[in-house]
This record gives sequence, structure tokens and C-alpha cells, in this order.
Amino acid sequence: MERPIFKPVGTPVDELDTPSLVVDLDVLAANIATVHGAFTGTARLRPRVDAHCTPAIAHKQIAAGGTVGGIAVATLAQAELFAQAGFGDILVANLIVTRSKIARLASLARDAVVTVAVDSERNVRDLSAAATSSNATIRAVVAVSTASGRFGAQPGDAAARIARAVVDADGVELAGLMASEEPVLEEDADASAAKTRERVAPLLDTRARIESDGIAVDAVVAGGSSNYEAAAATDGITEVPAGRYALMDAQLAPYLPQLGHAARVNSVVTGRPEEGLAITDGGRKAIGSDTGDPLVDVPGATVKGLSAEHGSIILDSVQPNLKDRIWFTPYDSAECVNLHDYMHVVRDGRLEAVWEIPARGRYR
Amino acid sequence: MDNYRPAPGTPLEELETPCLVVDLDAVENNYRAVADTYRGKVCQMRQHTKNIKSPTLARMQIRIGGAHDGVCTAKLSEAEVMVEHGITDVLIPNQVVTADKIARLCALQRQGDVKVCVDSRENVEDLSEIAESHGVKIGVLIEVDTSMGRAGVRSVDAGVELAKLAESLPGVDFRGVMSHQHLDDYVDNESRVLRAREYVERCVVVKHAIEAEGIAVEVVSSGETFSYDAAADVEGVTEVEGGTYALMGTSYDYMEEFQVANKVLSTIVSTPEPGVAVCDAGTRALSQPGGPFSVEGMPGVTVETLHDDHAVLRSDGGSDFEVGQQVLLLPWYQDMLVNRWDIYVAVRDGVVEEVWDIPARGCAQ
Repeated sequence: MERPIFKPVGTPVDELDTPSLVVDLDVLAANIATVHGAFTGTARLRPRVDAHCTPAIAHKQIAAGGTVGGIAVATLAQAELFAQAGFGDILVANLIVTRSKIARLASLARDAVVTVAVDSERNVRDLSAAATSSNATIRAVVAVSTASGRFGAQPGDAAARIARAVVDADGVELAGLMASEEPVLEEDADASAAKTRERVAPLLDTRARIESDGIAVDAVVAGGSSNYEAAAATDGITEVPAGRYALMDAQLAPYLPQLGHAARVNSVVTGRPEEGLAITDGGRKAIGSDTGDPLVDVPGATVKGLSAEHGSIILDSVQPNLKDRIWFTPYDSAECVNLHDYMHVVRDGRLEAVWEIPARGRYR
Repeated sequence: MDNYRPAPGTPLEELETPCLVVDLDAVENNYRAVADTYRGKVCQMRQHTKNIKSPTLARMQIRIGGAHDGVCTAKLSEAEVMVEHGITDVLIPNQVVTADKIARLCALQRQGDVKVCVDSRENVEDLSEIAESHGVKIGVLIEVDTSMGRAGVRSVDAGVELAKLAESLPGVDFRGVMSHQHLDDYVDNESRVLRAREYVERCVVVKHAIEAEGIAVEVVSSGETFSYDAAADVEGVTEVEGGTYALMGTSYDYMEEFQVANKVLSTIVSTPEPGVAVCDAGTRALSQPGGPFSVEGMPGVTVETLHDDHAVLRSDGGSDFEVGQQVLLLPWYQDMLVNRWDIYVAVRDGVVEEVWDIPARGCAQ
């Protein structure tokens, strides 16, 4: 487990131990207010809390309004954790297929409103059997694949057959359809709206196909942080599962200029072995770079690369000294959060609290 | 935090997935290979715990042999974990530079024999001043850059100057020289050995230059997995900082004496198209280490894409996939993978034998 030096509340942010995940509460609150404020129509937000793994943030998201009143997670173990933390409506935006996990899901469904994705009739039968024997009701969204290599049924007849199977089975209830998709990454608002409409069209066709059989389809779950505004305004979408907007990160920044970076990793310069090169104590294990390198706050500097334990920074005119502070903005804040057991929460440049990240590492 | 603890005797098929498993036969093989290589030699292994994060595994090499009664750790907090678990001889082959952390290093020094590496005058002076005020002596080694272009002094003269400084100051105890090495590409075995010798010898040159000033050099800590055997044959090297060899990754397949011992057991949750399967481990659980994961025992099956929580497998036609089927994913490089997990499930012959905490996971400070 991570072992930072814990400092007293009120400690200036530049005195916190390094490398640590530092979250600015005002920026977090502003991001949540901005995004939740966009959900004034039919579509509601369902915060994807696997983006931060932290109930303290999830409670703020629900309190901000604009949501369905529930959350989405990526794994069953995350769902169990958030149910303990007081969340009563949880979408497991994933497939749960093994006997032991289905039993856990049914057990959880006795305590909370639990929805899970399905993409095969066999899975529907297995869920039905477990729910029936646990005297629970499991809600199901049919996952509809909108890209190759994603889980989910094909739109149209294949998805409709699974929806029918859910309706016909005991112990399971049809909640709607969920897009199994890649994020929409378009900087231009019109392009983002067009791409979002294009993505959801097969789901809406599928919904019409199912409803023509007299089956009601309540939820159409689609979109994400990168296209939340487009998704909120797209006819037919009822729930947007988005999460990374809260902490934000370098990958999302081009698409969401209205939001600020609430999550950063502090670091100190541990070496200046050559002119123009700084070595930092923040590397891949503290910042993450699975899908891209972080941004660094030294003017003109670029990240040469992260190794497991170090960052290598190519400097321009600003030449930090040994022990100077450098701040990184992770490329994917959800990856970064999953590396840490604590987030240091600051306001106005001072430490306000240290929050545990209890759902990190809960993959199963 | 993950708190999954399956009972010993549980077969693999009944484990909740994804699950980081350690193949005990394989890891014991790897530790024996090192013990055999270092038998009767001056040079011994000082296992790098950044790759294992586990005092249990660290002690396994010490018990099997070929190793100093100590380890090296990437960070100070990782060193604390090892000392708390009774491994008190610790080298931190990294720089500890801030006053806070140096004070913490001094506190740890009271519990064990802790050494740290330096590459700047300012750091040596800070260590000296703070250690003296705490009434302890910190062992220091000069870090020499031999191929990485990362930390470390860039010239022999700079190394000698730092050694003289450390020798002259109170609160620090000059112990020796240290270097990391890096191979840009993974080449054939013969050139691996040649390059390893060349890099390690650059560190030994600094040792000789320091000795020429009349300063004794007790430790030459150099070499790692790719150079573990070559480094041991370089005159003057006293220890090798191997880490990857314990659990291994497929990028080291050319070192046939080692086996991949860390694997992620994963379950296929969807078969959306013929020849394509989606399984329940993605970048969150696996990391994305710079080379692809592979699938054990399934020739013709490749890991095509990693999403956050899923991996996509593709078959060239030879294998059929079934929902619920388990696969074992092997890392190309394992360091970042282990750091994602709180628990090792140690298995032998497909059955759980032990469950170990990974107490230094996340110790990036």
C-alpha cells in the first residue's frame, strides 16, 4: 500500500510528500457543476465512478443533480464497495458470466437496484436462475456493439432476441439498451454531435424493433465524458455513463476546454545530470502512461518519457533546480487514480483532507 | 483495495478473475538459476524489490542462495516495507533529495543498514547535514550513468569528486559505486553478454579511479536481469541488482534459464464475432508495458487490443473461444503489472498453495 508522509491539514500544497495524487476541491466542484448543469433535458448523467474509485467524489456527483440517482461501475467488486458506501442504484457496465460472480451479483441485487449488461441468451438464463434462487431481481441492459472488438450483441434482431429473452425470464427485468463503444473524440461541437447521433442510431433502431413487439425499452445508455454535451442533447439517449470529467486529464483536455485539471501528481527534481535534463521522482507507477504521456507544468519543457520510477523532462529556458517541484497532469486520470491508495485533497493551495481510494485495485 | 483470499487447495478454475497468479515452480526455478550461477562467486544477487513488491519473494531468493542477505528498493517507502518485514540490509539505488525524506531515511537507518545512491554534490551535502543532526550515518554509493541517460554522474571525474566529498563529510559513509544498464533492443544472446560487460565495466572504471585517490571502494552494485551472468564475471562487481528475473516477462524469452512466473488468469466474457473473444482483464489490471501480452498454451491466439477493463483476443482459426473459458495472460514486461495488484495467488500444478499480500504495492514515495 502507498505510504506517503501525511502532513497536517493546512499544509501548503508545495510541502506535500511526492509523488502524490493531489486533487483540487474547487476545480473538482466546478467540473461537476459544469457537467451536471448540462443535463437539464431527458438525458441524465450516470456517473462512472470507476474513473475515481472514491465514494467521497461519487456522493458529490449524485448531490449535484442532473443524474439518474445512480452510478455506473466497471467491475462487480467495485459495485460491492460502492453499495457498502451507500449507493443504492448501480449499473455494472460489464458482463458477469461466471457462476460465482453471478451469485455475488444476485446477492447484491437483494440490497440495491442492480443493473448489468448482457449480450447472450445463455447469460440471461444464468442470471435468471441465480436471481430466482436468491429471490432477487437483476435488471439487465442489452449491450449493443457499435465497434469491432467490443463486447455486445449486434444491433437489430440479435439484440432484440436477447431483450425478448430477458422479458421472458424470471428474476431479470429489461432496463434498456447500452452502447458498447469507443469514446467519441471530436473537438468540434458539430462533429461531436454528428458522431454521437451516428453511434446511437443503431441503438434507436434496435429500440424501435423491440418496441414493435410490445416491449418497453426505458433506458438508452450511451456517450461519455468526451462527448457529454452532445450526448445530453441527442434525442433518444436517456443515460450518459461518464466519469473522467470530474478529475479531468490531458487526454480529455482538447475536447473539454470548459473543465479544469482537478487531479495532478506532484513531483520533485531528484537529479539534473545534464544541461537541459531533469529527472523527477514521479514515473509510470505514480502518474501512469499506459495510453499517453502526462503534461508537465514547466514552461517550454516536454516529457521525454516516464520510466517505472522516474520521469525524464527535457527543459527549455526554465531550468528547475534539484528539489524543485514539478507538477504532472496525467494523460488518463482513471489510470492514475488506480495507482494510488490515497488522494491528497486541497483547497486554496492548502491540504484539506486525505481521502482513501477504496475501490482501486478491485478488478474482480 | 483488493481483499480476495482464496483458500489453499482451490483449483485455478474456481478463482475469481482477473487474478494475478504466481507459478511457484517457475519462480523457484528462476531463483535456483541465480543461486547456481553465483555459487562460489564474490558477486551475489541483491534482488530488486521494485519488480516483486513482496518481502516473501525477496526472502525466497535469500533462502535458496546466491544472494546477499539484503535487497534493493526503488523508493524509500519500499525500503521501509522491507525493513519492517525483517530485511534490514537495503540499498536504494535512487536519489533521496528532500529534507522530509532524508529525515525519514535517517529514522530508517536506526532500524537497519540503509544505503542510498547520489549523483550531485548538493545531495551529498544535504544527506551529510541532516544525518549528522539525527546522529546517524547514511551509507552512500555514487550512481554512474553507463547507458541509460537518466540519473547518475556522466564522467569518471565527476564520480571521483563526489566520492572525495562523501569521504570528507560527516554523517555519510562512502561505500561504493552503482549503475543501472539498459538494452534498447532485445538482441541475440552473444551480443547481450558483450553489451552487458561493456556497460558494467564503465562502472568498474569509476571504482578504480576512486581507489587511485586512496579511497576504499567496498561495493560495486551493477547489472540486472539481462546482464546478471555477465556482470558476475566482471572483476570487481560485488552485487547484481536483478529484479525482472524473479517473475519474468516474455521480452526476455532469449534467456532460456528463466520462466515466466507471473500470469494473469482471465475469463472470456463475450465472443462477439467468430475468432474474437473479450476477456475480463484490461489496462487497469494489466498495465500496458510497451509490448503485447501473450496467451499461454494457445498458439495462434494473440492479444489484439487492451481496453480499460477488457482484453480482445483474436484467433488465427486454430482455437475456438467459449464464454466462461479461462486464459492465462503473460506480460511482455512485468514491473508495472505487479504494481497494480494487492494480492499474489501462489499456485502449483494448477492449485492454490498460498496467498501473499503485496505490501510494497503503490510505494512510489
